[in-house]
Amino acid sequence: MPKASSSQKQRSGSRDKTRGRKKPSIAKPLAVLAAVVVVALGAAFYLQRSANDQAPSTPAASSHNTHSPISPEGWSKGNSLAKAVLVEFVDFQCGACAAASSRVANIARKHGAELKVVFKHQPMQRAHGNAMIAAQAAEAAGLQFKFWEMHDLLLQRQHEWAKVPDAQSLFLRYAAELRLNLARFRRDLWSAEVRNRINRDIMEGQMAQVRSVPAFFLNGKPIPNSRDEFEFEQRIVDGIRSLQ
Amino acid sequence: MVLAGFAGMVDSGYVGFHSLTGLLIPCGPAGGCDQVLNSAYSHWGGVSIAWFGFIFYLAVTAAGIFGLSGFRQVLRFSLIASLAAFLVTLYLLYLQAFVLQAFCDYCLISALLVFVILGAHLALRPRNRTPESA
Repeated sequence: MPKASSSQKQRSGSRDKTRGRKKPSIAKPLAVLAAVVVVALGAAFYLQRSANDQAPSTPAASSHNTHSPISPEGWSKGNSLAKAVLVEFVDFQCGACAAASSRVANIARKHGAELKVVFKHQPMQRAHGNAMIAAQAAEAAGLQFKFWEMHDLLLQRQHEWAKVPDAQSLFLRYAAELRLNLARFRRDLWSAEVRNRINRDIMEGQMAQVRSVPAFFLNGKPIPNSRDEFEFEQRIVDGIRSLQ
Repeated sequence: MVLAGFAGMVDSGYVGFHSLTGLLIPCGPAGGCDQVLNSAYSHWGGVSIAWFGFIFYLAVTAAGIFGLSGFRQVLRFSLIASLAAFLVTLYLLYLQAFVLQAFCDYCLISALLVFVILGAHLALRPRNRTPESA
């Protein structure tokens, strides 16, 4: 019993000490936390921005028309000297882009003498997980002079690779079908050169305020996409005529 | 712990901001950043997992700052969060090593920070009890 009473005394003593201790204030740590978060976010944002600024600009990017952010440089079809230039921003994983590509191919075939069709990448990564690697595959094939062949394969077989977790192995199969040098293709797929080419197109698209794909620009001016091939063709023909 | 949390916020915030721009990220010696960060596993519900990491590091930093200011009980919650983050990290390392067969420097830095944070929690745990019992 005496033992118990002494321990009770000890307990009540420690309680008194706790009561006497000053309650910590919440304001100070909260202010410190807010400052730390602001500094961390600021640092992350600054690093990300400076990484973008380091992306090399090319003569193609710097020499284009100052009135339009769209340069006529890139993978092209049709008459490379034509006055009329149709620029398309494409995401290989977008269904509408696959549908539009056949319309554009038909128009390029019909009006190839007076029209230059230029391809630009605009992978919508937040919506399409494999769009970026598909763009890389097309560019890597382009380094072996088979951009358009890979472009067509990617759009025709979109359903095959769009949702798979490992699209790279499928793209290697496509590269083999196109008789590309596989070791080089594999290396180029993740190369800085390919990365810079795609980044340049994305930045161009951002400057031109491309918000959805496919996006079309005729002579630097945006033209609406249309599912009706005749209507779409008419818009382009009007654009070609306006230059003559 | 606060320092590791801060470093984690910068690391994950950097990757998160990059995912918002849609640009390819500069990559270090591991070389597989694009492969990992553009894979189907890089987003949960359409949101880059870097932002989930950011929330974890924010919580850890908050717990560290509040813990230093006398609110020691919050460390218990951040320990649970760190254990969960540790398991997620192991899963992500498994994906990088065996499924994607590519490593991303930013993810490896994040994994290291999670290990440091969990280690700090475990190292600090007995010391938390000492002032109570004294």
